[in-house]
Amino acid sequence: MSKPAMQLVNLKKTIGNKPIIKGLDFEIRAGEVFGFLGPNGAGKTTTIRMMVGLIDITEGDVLIEGKSIKTDFKGAIQHVGAIVENPEMYPFLSGWKNLKQYARMVEGVTDERIKEVVSLVGLEKAIHEKAGRYSLGMRQRLGIAQALLHGPSILILDEPTNGLDPSGIREIRKYIRNLAEKENVAVIVSSHLLTEIELMCDRIGVIKNGELIAIEEVQTVEHEEALKEVYIEVEPMETAKVYLDSHLENGVGVGSKELSMSVKREEIPQILKNLMEQGISIYGVRVLQATLEDKFFDLIGENSIE
Amino acid sequence: MSNFMKLIWNEQIKLYAKKATWVMFAVILVIAIGGGLITKFFGTESDFKEYGDNWQTELQAENEQLMAEMADDEFAGFTNEFIIAENNYHLENNIKPQPYDGWEYVLDNSFLTSVISLFTIIVAAGIISNEFKWGTIKLLLIRPISRTKILFSKYVSVLIFALTLLVFLLLSSWLVGALLFGLNGLNPMVVQDMMPGYAHNDVLGEIAKSYGFSIVTLVMMATFAFMISAIFRSSGMAIGLAIFLMMAGNTIVAFLSQYEWSKFILFANTNLEQYTNGMEPTIPGMSMTFSIIVLLVYFAIFIGAAWAAFTKRDVAGN
Ligand SMILES: Nc1ncnc2c1ncn2[C@@H]1O[C@H](COP(=O)(O)OP(=O)(O)OP(=O)(O)O)[C@@H](O)[C@H]1O
Ligand SMILES: [Mg+2]
Repeated sequence: MSKPAMQLVNLKKTIGNKPIIKGLDFEIRAGEVFGFLGPNGAGKTTTIRMMVGLIDITEGDVLIEGKSIKTDFKGAIQHVGAIVENPEMYPFLSGWKNLKQYARMVEGVTDERIKEVVSLVGLEKAIHEKAGRYSLGMRQRLGIAQALLHGPSILILDEPTNGLDPSGIREIRKYIRNLAEKENVAVIVSSHLLTEIELMCDRIGVIKNGELIAIEEVQTVEHEEALKEVYIEVEPMETAKVYLDSHLENGVGVGSKELSMSVKREEIPQILKNLMEQGISIYGVRVLQATLEDKFFDLIGENSIE
Repeated sequence: MSNFMKLIWNEQIKLYAKKATWVMFAVILVIAIGGGLITKFFGTESDFKEYGDNWQTELQAENEQLMAEMADDEFAGFTNEFIIAENNYHLENNIKPQPYDGWEYVLDNSFLTSVISLFTIIVAAGIISNEFKWGTIKLLLIRPISRTKILFSKYVSVLIFALTLLVFLLLSSWLVGALLFGLNGLNPMVVQDMMPGYAHNDVLGEIAKSYGFSIVTLVMMATFAFMISAIFRSSGMAIGLAIFLMMAGNTIVAFLSQYEWSKFILFANTNLEQYTNGMEPTIPGMSMTFSIIVLLVYFAIFIGAAWAAFTKRDVAGN
């Protein structure tokens, strides 16, 4: 496992008397895409603001490539590219001139590099137009270009798919995966929509009311060993239930029209064959794909804003 | 280019990418041209008169004629008295009067520095708060550059802008003046009404003095607006407060001048010209040194407050 690109150490933020972030501890590794998931008001943006030093850290620390954002701001932030909340730009400058502004603020960003980044986010055609005329999707792309200019090893994107159409989302997703896999960039993507980020993330951390309530690896490969929920519509149900109860170790559940059971994928054909041999008619079989969404919905529950 | 210079370069690009900035330059140009034309066509005739070798006789004749006019028409007295007094100064000190020229026009336009103050206040008030308004402050502050450096690059940019406007005012006044009135040499001597009395000085020195003194108010008010903008992150408030104080400053001082502590008010000290030419200071007991110290203290407070607000506070919301 690679070394952490970013580490959150008991990170806390209190505004007034209200604890907003209540002690976050996790790390993001180089080359992984980390999804930061939580309902509205969970504290994603607040956490990201602390990661990039926009707001003070009440307690704890953020270490970026081993450097504390609190005590070594320049040393830490030089590895980071970010969009915080919305991709805001100078509306009266062209996209190109906007990027030039940020290029002048770090060493060694040449015009060639800017062009490279612009073509990476597919903004060549509109780059000399005023940013004020950009659509939200174009601004999102310009925002990403801005974050990538200096070749950061950590990329933080707060709701990057906000305002993008499906093809835009797919492109960004592809692009983010590419950055992580080919350039070994650690990418942090926040969102309140699981479906949007589960496809691009390697791990997902769930935050609710300022607390991390789960960190999950996203399973990309189907596990042969994993148990699946299988529903079978059979006739007569009673005979089938008695037969299955005696043959399956986990037993069966009885629904209104279906029997349900937890079995491995490879067992399914044999079970069906056995049932038919017993003279039981099978009208339908469905295998429930237990998605992350079900899992996280249980975790997050009602989105109650404290 | 050094890091700091690049930041200033960035600020200048943002400034000149906006139409409002160009409007400011246009306003100054229009006033310089308009003022020149008004002076040319509606100015006092005697100002433009060219005198020959016998200028003493000419002046005496002129005085007699003015006196005669005053005897006929009591309303002529007001301006005529001034002209007579000035003519007498020329005669007593043996200074040949010269026609009004471009240099004098530049000198007369020094009152336009208050317009420059106004524009500089507007720019100073916006240079920080606009970044908050546009949301770009977040992108500015996540670079490997300290907030202190960003703040001062903005402050220096405001001063550069003021200086640019000032140079523009000088150049356009000089050009308009030279075209309309001509020039009496490279650095002619001018006779100035000191109220009371007259003085004879070289024009470049006078221009430097009158523009120079006005820079004090300009810098102080721009710094004040800059501070308000850094603290409240709102340009409207910064512009409003700074302009109000600039306009009402003298009234406030006059109103409070009965109190001993009123000499510590900023506006009692911004006019350093009050200590030159043997004039009495606004409030007895004040001196040039005193005022400079008071000004420096205010300046340090403004900059310190702006710095504290900009470097210490959270950038959240919006
Ligand atoms: N300056 C502030 N003062 C008081 N409370 C604040 C402040 N900033 C944020 N909060 C509170 O902190 C909580 C977290 O806000 P944050 O913006 O981090 O949420 P988020 O997870 O980014 O939500 P969203 O999905 O809507 O973007 C909210 O309850 C918000 O009300
Ligand atoms: Mg947010």
